[in-house]
Amino acid sequence: MRFARTSRSVLFALPVLVLTACAPKSWVVLLPDEDGTTGRIIVSGAEGQAEVAEAGVAASLDRPSPETFTVTPYRIEQTFGAALKAQPAKPIVFTLYFEVGDARLTAESEALLPSVLAEAASRQGADISIVGHTDTTGDAVDNEALGMLRATFVRDSLVAAGLRLERISTESHGEGNLLVPTPDDTPEPYNRRVEVVVR
Amino acid sequence: MTLTTAVRCLLLACAIALLAGAASADDGPIGYIKTHAGAAFVVSGGKALEAVPGLALRQGDVLRTGDDGRLGLTLLDNTVMSVGPNAELVIDEYLFEPGNDKLGLGVRLLRGTMQFISGVIAKLRPDAVKVRTASGTIGVRGTRFLVTAGN
Repeated sequence: MRFARTSRSVLFALPVLVLTACAPKSWVVLLPDEDGTTGRIIVSGAEGQAEVAEAGVAASLDRPSPETFTVTPYRIEQTFGAALKAQPAKPIVFTLYFEVGDARLTAESEALLPSVLAEAASRQGADISIVGHTDTTGDAVDNEALGMLRATFVRDSLVAAGLRLERISTESHGEGNLLVPTPDDTPEPYNRRVEVVVR
Repeated sequence: MTLTTAVRCLLLACAIALLAGAASADDGPIGYIKTHAGAAFVVSGGKALEAVPGLALRQGDVLRTGDDGRLGLTLLDNTVMSVGPNAELVIDEYLFEPGNDKLGLGVRLLRGTMQFISGVIAKLRPDAVKVRTASGTIGVRGTRFLVTAGN
């Protein structure tokens, strides 16, 4: 399988190729993330692959082997203006921590609850996920249950603080979604948390 | 209508209800519509619903927009997608149970334009996220990109 990496020479040569050959009708272009970093995509056709890791670089989706080319901001706006305009507000995550060996939230976390309510009220069709997490101490099955206990506790606290919303889900990721990566059976306070996502 | 015909109809109705129940079992919302303008619909279980903010989405749903339509949605893993006019986007696969190690997101853009901003699934298991068009596949490594599928 051919693996085409975008290099400087390719970037200079390809716009000419694209203008002379027939331009692709289906393509993907990479954008920078909101934090300024840029991710990576791997585009596969029937016969080959291309990797794109630079913002503004596109790859064809209707060629057996994807071809890369650069796209101007103007063309991006022309092609994708409406799709970009429809982008919803990014989900916001509030992370709440518990007092050690206690079912109570820390004072700092307790103080975040009004912000959660305000954020939910400011969004159209808002939904909230309340996700309990544990560290890797103990059994994975027990941690799944413990994460659920923590999530339910936070839901009850939010409802007591005045949250009125139909679209609330309460779930546990147990030890499957660590904030601080650790080996198994490792106590880690930052992993013992509940994430409240407002979308 | 004879009694036996009535009983048969009742049995048939029960069977259909059971089948429908089986098809929609374990079928909770996977996300919600957040923005819309113009003609924008969610085709869910054979019914077209107007894509208003707060409308729940399920695996298998098809998003459709008209000439002046656009819509935006978020999924439970914080993936954000939006589509422009004359688009058709199918949510083929959605699995988000990190506690049970079940992760997967597969969407297909049949026509039109879309923006994709990856969420937690792409962070936890990049290989499990795929955006497809008629002849190409995009593998996601945690990122934001735009796709156009021309006909």
